[in-house]
Amino acid sequence: MTIEFDIPDDRYYDATHHMWTQPQEGTDRVRVGIDALGLQSLGDLAYISLRAVGDAVQRGEAIGTLEAAKMTGDLIAPVSGVLAARNEAALRDPMLVNDDPYGAGWMVAIQPRDWETESGKLVSGDRLPDWVAGEIERYRSQGWVE
Amino acid sequence: MRLRLITDDGVAASFGLAADETLAQRVGLGASPPTLRLYTYRSHCALVGRFQNVENEIHMDYCRAHGVDVNRRPTGGGAIIMGAEQLGVALTLPGREGTSYCHARELMEHFSGGLLRGLKRLGVAARFRRKNDIEVQGCKLVGLGIFRASSGGLLFHASVLVDLDVPLMLHVIKTPFEKITDKEIESAAARTSTVRREVGREISMDDVRAIVADGYAQAFNAELSAAEFSAAERREAQVLERSKYRSDAWVFRRTEVADASGTAKVKTPAGLLDVRVTLAGRMLKAVYIGGDFFTAENAVAELEERLRWHPRHSERVAATVEDCYRRQPDLGGIPMHALCAALHKAIRRAKNAETRARSDPYACFVNPEAAIA
Repeated sequence: MTIEFDIPDDRYYDATHHMWTQPQEGTDRVRVGIDALGLQSLGDLAYISLRAVGDAVQRGEAIGTLEAAKMTGDLIAPVSGVLAARNEAALRDPMLVNDDPYGAGWMVAIQPRDWETESGKLVSGDRLPDWVAGEIERYRSQGWVE
Repeated sequence: MRLRLITDDGVAASFGLAADETLAQRVGLGASPPTLRLYTYRSHCALVGRFQNVENEIHMDYCRAHGVDVNRRPTGGGAIIMGAEQLGVALTLPGREGTSYCHARELMEHFSGGLLRGLKRLGVAARFRRKNDIEVQGCKLVGLGIFRASSGGLLFHASVLVDLDVPLMLHVIKTPFEKITDKEIESAAARTSTVRREVGREISMDDVRAIVADGYAQAFNAELSAAEFSAAERREAQVLERSKYRSDAWVFRRTEVADASGTAKVKTPAGLLDVRVTLAGRMLKAVYIGGDFFTAENAVAELEERLRWHPRHSERVAATVEDCYRRQPDLGGIPMHALCAALHKAIRRAKNAETRARSDPYACFVNPEAAIA
């Protein structure tokens, strides 16, 4: 069986940590979550902890931690800024993230400090298909997916 | 590669954990060298996983009455007891750029390499199991965890059961058992193993420590040099011990995911089946399968392990059970459909208990004894 991965083309992806980012229309915030390939590495989520609203966050640094069926690890900020909101529903029911990673399973909202520059470091638009194909190949070669 | 080796014994839980976190932080910054710490805690302490609620996992009254220290690890996983007969392993290394959950599984297997080599040298055919265990024929021998410090330094934690006081463990750590009888002790003992049981002799802690150290030297092609904590490391660890690992805010912090327990007893042609489950939200946190049927304990232990940290959804539980039956012919002593029905019933009761607890904010989420069989 070959697993298909849903990587919507309406957002920006951190190529290393498999976090997605999407500007929220009409606001100065971006929403952040885990993409489907990241979730494939983790398995079903058991617990999430997130930093407090108002905390300054730095791209590449931890905004929280999680424990999943397969492993425990950090959630890494794809952009720098101020943590503006947390998904309290996902904190209470982490499997929301597995059920709907791009919708109800979002993790945090960040007020980015320099979206213009940092969004350029994320994968989006025309670069997406090649990145997704490369990542799926990498996952296959590691034996993580069939 | 050079690896500093620190050995210490009789360590307090708060200092042991603070020292490991300090080393991870400093190694990430380049202020301390990569270090392998092989140590024992002062008997006994109970260490819960990073996300667990202490009151759900630990019999606090027993711990208070018997001087069992309680603390919280920076790493995930379940509650454990540590003392003079359990070897603590803390390997601290600088993290690579981009080290995150995507690499955690590779890292866990890689870091386990030294332990597996050491155990192999002792003639123990151990293997890495799924998320965070090393097992021997379905029985847990070593618990594993990884923590990434904010500096990027990595801490690999392992608890090696050189020996285990199973009755004490059952008094300290909450289990699905209603009472601690000889049968329950035997059942818990069948789900874990120890280095001494596997090698069949009274091997000393120092001998195990030396063999594990050699295992890491070989696995990492490293030259080990024995050393002590530096004065700066000790000072920083003491500060962290006071501010974090001795603070109730850390030890008794709560997760927002609710726990709930349920049980089911089902009569089958093979005998009585007794199933107990604990849920953490929509995940199965723990499963116990007992009864008076005849089947290999290690096959049951493996099935229970497969169901740990597994979604509670009936169809997914049934699929995993079916897969275990295909791989483990020894499970044939328990009728599969009866087992699925019992699991379903116990999960439904746990869900109902959770719903009742939510509607009664003063109720306790975890009380296995209260679940009606």
